[in-house]
Amino acid sequence: MSGGTRLENANPVIFQRSGERLLTAADEDEDVQDPIDDREIFDILSINDPEHPLSLEELNVVEQIRVKVNDAESSVGIEFTPTIPHCSMATLIGLSIKVKLLRSLPDRFKIDVHITPGTHASEEAVNKQLADKERVAAALENSSLLEVVNQCLTSRSI
Amino acid sequence: MMADESALLLSLVEEFVSGLQDSKAKDTATAVKDGQFTVLQLVEALGLSLTSSQPHTRARGVQLLSEVLHECYGDLTEREVEVLISFYENRLKDHYVITPPVLQGLRALTKCNALPPGSAVSMLRSLFQDVHVQSLMLTERGCVYNMLINLMDTREAELKGLGADFVFGFVQSMDGERDPRNLLLAFQIAKNIIHRGYDLGKFTEELFEVTSCYFPIDFTPPPNDPHGITRDQLILMLRAVLTGTPKFAEFLLPLIIEKLDSDVQSAKQDSLQTLAACVSQYEHKDLAEFLEGLWTSLRREVFQTSSEKIESAGLAALTALTSCLSRSVLNSDSDDSLNTFLDLVLKDCKHHLCEPDLKLVWPSAKLLQAACSASNRASHIITAAVMPTLIEQYNNRAECSHRRTLLEVVQRFILSVKSSQSSESEESVLSAFRPSLCSMVFSALSESNANLQITATSALTSLSQQTGLLLDSDIELAVDHLTGLLLKEDDNSVSAAVVECAGALAQLHPTAFITKLIPELKKQMFSEPMEQDREASEQQSHHAMRQRCLSALAAVSTQPSVVQESTPVLLEVLSSAHTGSVSFSVEEVVLACCSLQRIAEQVKDTEETGRCFHDVIIPRLLSLALQAALQGDGSPGRRSPLVEEAVLSAMVRVISTSCSRLQPTMAGQTTSKAVSLFLDGDVSFLPDNSFPSNIQLLKKQQGDSWSQSQMVCLLMGCVCSLPRSVEVPQIDRLLSELEEMSYTCSHPLSYTSAAKCFAGLVNKRPQGDSLDSLIQRTMKRICSELDSTSSSVRYQAFTLMIWVAKALLLRYHPLFTALTDKLFSLLDDADLGPMAADSFSLLMSDSADILNRGCHADTRIMYRQRFFSENSAKLVQGFNAAPQEKKPNYLKALSNIVNKLPKQVQVTELPALLSLLLEALSCPDQGVQLSTLSCLEPVLIDPPPALIQQLEALVSRLLALTSSPAMDVRIVSLRCIHALSRFPVHEILPFRARVLRALARPLDDKKRMVRSEAVQARGEWFLIGSPGGR
Amino acid sequence: MKEALTLLHRLNGHPDSRCWFVSWSPTGTLLASCGGDKAVRIWGQEGDSWVCKSVLEDGHQRTVRKVAWSPCGNYLASASFDATTCIWKKKNDGFESLTVLEGHENEVKCVAWAPSGNLLATCSRDKSVWVWEVDEEDDYECVTVVNSHTQDVKHVVWHPTQELLASASYDNNICIYKEDDDDWECRATLQGHTSTVWSLAFDATGQRLASCSDDRTVKIWKEYPSESGNDLSWKCVCTLSGYHGRTVYDIVWCRLTGALATACGDDAVRVFKEDETADPDQPVFSLAAQATKAHNQDVNCVAWNPKEAGLLASCSDDGDIAIWRFEEED
Repeated sequence: MSGGTRLENANPVIFQRSGERLLTAADEDEDVQDPIDDREIFDILSINDPEHPLSLEELNVVEQIRVKVNDAESSVGIEFTPTIPHCSMATLIGLSIKVKLLRSLPDRFKIDVHITPGTHASEEAVNKQLADKERVAAALENSSLLEVVNQCLTSRSI
Repeated sequence: MMADESALLLSLVEEFVSGLQDSKAKDTATAVKDGQFTVLQLVEALGLSLTSSQPHTRARGVQLLSEVLHECYGDLTEREVEVLISFYENRLKDHYVITPPVLQGLRALTKCNALPPGSAVSMLRSLFQDVHVQSLMLTERGCVYNMLINLMDTREAELKGLGADFVFGFVQSMDGERDPRNLLLAFQIAKNIIHRGYDLGKFTEELFEVTSCYFPIDFTPPPNDPHGITRDQLILMLRAVLTGTPKFAEFLLPLIIEKLDSDVQSAKQDSLQTLAACVSQYEHKDLAEFLEGLWTSLRREVFQTSSEKIESAGLAALTALTSCLSRSVLNSDSDDSLNTFLDLVLKDCKHHLCEPDLKLVWPSAKLLQAACSASNRASHIITAAVMPTLIEQYNNRAECSHRRTLLEVVQRFILSVKSSQSSESEESVLSAFRPSLCSMVFSALSESNANLQITATSALTSLSQQTGLLLDSDIELAVDHLTGLLLKEDDNSVSAAVVECAGALAQLHPTAFITKLIPELKKQMFSEPMEQDREASEQQSHHAMRQRCLSALAAVSTQPSVVQESTPVLLEVLSSAHTGSVSFSVEEVVLACCSLQRIAEQVKDTEETGRCFHDVIIPRLLSLALQAALQGDGSPGRRSPLVEEAVLSAMVRVISTSCSRLQPTMAGQTTSKAVSLFLDGDVSFLPDNSFPSNIQLLKKQQGDSWSQSQMVCLLMGCVCSLPRSVEVPQIDRLLSELEEMSYTCSHPLSYTSAAKCFAGLVNKRPQGDSLDSLIQRTMKRICSELDSTSSSVRYQAFTLMIWVAKALLLRYHPLFTALTDKLFSLLDDADLGPMAADSFSLLMSDSADILNRGCHADTRIMYRQRFFSENSAKLVQGFNAAPQEKKPNYLKALSNIVNKLPKQVQVTELPALLSLLLEALSCPDQGVQLSTLSCLEPVLIDPPPALIQQLEALVSRLLALTSSPAMDVRIVSLRCIHALSRFPVHEILPFRARVLRALARPLDDKKRMVRSEAVQARGEWFLIGSPGGR
Repeated sequence: MKEALTLLHRLNGHPDSRCWFVSWSPTGTLLASCGGDKAVRIWGQEGDSWVCKSVLEDGHQRTVRKVAWSPCGNYLASASFDATTCIWKKKNDGFESLTVLEGHENEVKCVAWAPSGNLLATCSRDKSVWVWEVDEEDDYECVTVVNSHTQDVKHVVWHPTQELLASASYDNNICIYKEDDDDWECRATLQGHTSTVWSLAFDATGQRLASCSDDRTVKIWKEYPSESGNDLSWKCVCTLSGYHGRTVYDIVWCRLTGALATACGDDAVRVFKEDETADPDQPVFSLAAQATKAHNQDVNCVAWNPKEAGLLASCSDDGDIAIWRFEEED
């Protein structure tokens, strides 16, 4: 991942960012309860791709339609789509998404992160790893892995 | 020399050399300057020490001489200098301990005006021959460099006579230098050698080697470096050396290519900037053999960049490179290196333009645009190659996002095209593509995709700014498109872009706007919403259409010819609204006024526009407002929208902008008319004059009716915005009637406007007794009303006081302090206390309509700081002395003041006030909390040490505020906590667990805006002390 | 018959961290807990409340995943993500680190003491199960490394009376091991779960084994006399599905009452009772009680008190430990 190594996908397809969420009158009204919705979760996921100086949104790795949240039942499901079917970064991207949500959502939420069905060669294996909280916990105690995840989660500095 | 002087000299020498009394050097120098003995006598007196068998004694002797020379080199004769030089040259061959003082002496001599011809050369020959510079200590090496610099400044011709030997000597001297201070001197010499045309002879490569080995500069000054040498100084100085001559090209360019491969970002950036700098000195032949290598590196840096800095440095270098190649003179028989190079660029980049969905389309476009912007010739070559492709791609793509990308790329090409400066008449580079570009832009404007339409408006703007490119028929078609969009397009972002585009086009092509756009907009705006029972959504869209038209009318009105056509339409909106002939809402009327004001603000100040505003618009506004006022507030039936406060305030801004910036003489006439209208009821200058003769606008109205009294704000708009050179007639009478009015009215807009108008005039009155007595009279009355708790006009008196206080504060009037003291005392007032606390905000902030620089108010710089420094102590004392229930007033006052101070002042004042501000954070008043938080927030970005010491208290209070009942408080406190995450890691790490735990709760706040702040803050705090974080 | 699960105590056991596991001392008077804060804590009752008696810190560099009491109650073993297992010995009022067992390549997921107290089993993400022998001098020696799983091994548990060991894995299987000629061999592989098997528990007799899994089911396995050769024969006789909303992280069988308790990722603690009238080859378990919001987050572990019937401890990702009473009323 350092500057010298070759990128797996040097010229990926890029997508338009969806732009800032527009504020509504209800958003500014003290008395209105704003439910946590799909767009809000999607906005939280403005994560950088470990390989590119682009966000996961620009690479279409995460899309708002693949974000499902149920505030009342405290559940969030995300499907993400690796840029290429053999992307070796899939687990890392999934882990970054999961960590970002763990840090950003109230702890009442159950968070499920999966690969969009049919978009990756090792879909099941990656899904199983991401669902195993013991492995996730152990991974986050691995400082080199945590370093990469944190870099993905660092707001882009220009 | 007298005997006693001779004895003195010997004793001085003795005491310095053997007695090691350093101060004797100074005494000796003074004696020489006083003429007690000469330098040569000193040399003689030194005789014994100089022939001593002890090298240290000899060194001490030379040192005395050198130190004396440092003091009096200016008085030496040529003969003396000659002797001294030969003395020193001999000493250079002596023991090494003697070298340092010898060099000091020689350095002093290089500063002599009386340096005999040939001596510079002789000195340098000895120096280069007998001294190995890099074996010397740091100071001595510096001494050598300074000698060279001094001689280069005064004896250039002589040194050049040394030929390449001089360069060789210098190269040997600096070879291996490591100290940054000395490097700066050595680079200075190298720069002089190159820029002043010294002969490099066969030592070009040596000179390059000995300097370029430091490239790129890798130096971080030690903390608290007393020498203050910065990395940037070294970089710039070395760059000046390396890029100074094309002779270095063959060495420098491969070096740059090599260094660009580095992983160090700063090295890349330095290399790119050096490349851009050097090619501006080169000719195409210097570059020829490196073009491919340079291009490969530049392409890689832009294609794979992770930093915008590197990218823009890369693009700038490409532009510089292309522009160097463009300077080559074409020979029919030689290769055109520009063509060859651009072929390379096109080969690697052009095909990416056909992949608008892939990442490399942007870097490719940026590279091509950077090359394109280098010269007219490059623009021709690049556009000829890419435009047909882009246009074809655009026409073949169906997906909006692809088309938008292509259109944006095209737009940036249009911007980057360099029009030939030599001849205005020459055809635009883009002429060949005009029809296709126009149809591309027009088709995009008709799409339903907002982003595409917005991009199209920028492209249209860029096209219209290409001199001589668009035909009149193109402009007319464009205006038709824009008009259609203004009338129909509901998307706010699109219509904002359309308005902006219309403004840009109207600036260059006013005719089409006068003949087509304005009449059409007028027609549509004055159409009534059809039936009364129409759906609300259609009402809404009719209103939105009018809004767009009104702001478009303002945007297009920059040329006087357009203003002549657009302002009557806007005035007609007001008059129709007043009569009710066409129904316009209050909001629409306000917008019409805003458009008038914007025009007054942006139009060129000519006599024509001055007449338009002073002779037509202002009288018309006053007339309409007066008609509406005379209809009254109590009259049955329909009330004119022109008596609404929002409309009047908008009119004030039109009048005040016109009076402040258009034609002072005419503004003076407008003022005279307005004053006589308000004082004497003179309505003769008003159009549609059917007014009664007994109008008394500044007098208390019957039954306390306010529709006429509130008109005083229009007077304020006029008299308070004049340049100070313009006289206000009947000023004393005016002031006294305004003061009276500010007490007698009970209608807040009326008495506040009267007070503001009074204050605005006071601010501009010349200094002197008459002003002082006016202020004293006014204050006396204010205080007597305020002191009487039973007075019915305490609010009025307070309002007048605060505005007069502001007027005086701005100009530092000495009587201001009396008012401040009164204001402070009111903080304890049961009734007015909270108002007094709030009023500090008014005192410290810029007022929108009067007493600002736009209105030519008498404003001293830094009046806020001055107010703060004179009063903060009083405030702190007052706080400490105040009873518990009054303390919030003091905290609020304090936070209102601190909030408005410039950040540097906040930072310096903060230590003293910190405990009070922290107290304010715990104050239950949400207003105080909010205002304190917003003054803390910017300070937290670069926290002063005092703040870091109070971290515990700060963190506790901020965390407590994240559960405030007020959403704004929660949001700003979270932002502050976010800002804390950028404090030095070791300071905040102990708080990490606590902050993370506390921030878990706002993640589940009921308001989304709060959650979003919490998410950001918590995300950053997680990164603290974590690998890959900070 | 009415059953209820009543909360007796809630302790913030591992603040700002998660609590992975709790374990009762053999006498049932002390409770050991461990978690993401790298520490083991010992809890005891003082009057009406539970207090932390000691904190065992500095033994591990990373999360402590499981903790186990020796049958004599004088030793504690802790398994950690730092690839080591720590043995702690009781001394005065506290514990001191006795020795550190190294050898696994990466995270140790579980440690368990054999009923005799002479053997210790550990398992790890390195896919292996290790058996250690303890001598009188408190020396530990690895006697066997078994690699029967294809993925990380999540849990090991000893038979209550025999020297028989069972392990559960990410490869969805359960393995049963027996010593043969100084060597431990996998003698049976129990297949049936469709995802990671998180935990195992023998009943009081050791004839049956309960397992719980990421597939949100609980399975009961029973040993049958072997039909041929010396392979053991275990069959699934019952599957509890539909009760658990997410991964079941732990299961425990009360040696006193036969009640089965589960810890689940849906924040609930559940207790199942067996219908004693049913055919032993087709046992029937029914949900006897549940605390649906037992914790604010995933429940990681449940543990029945070995001496006091119906006393149940649980712990969660929220760092809390809860102590419950399960009561059957007639």
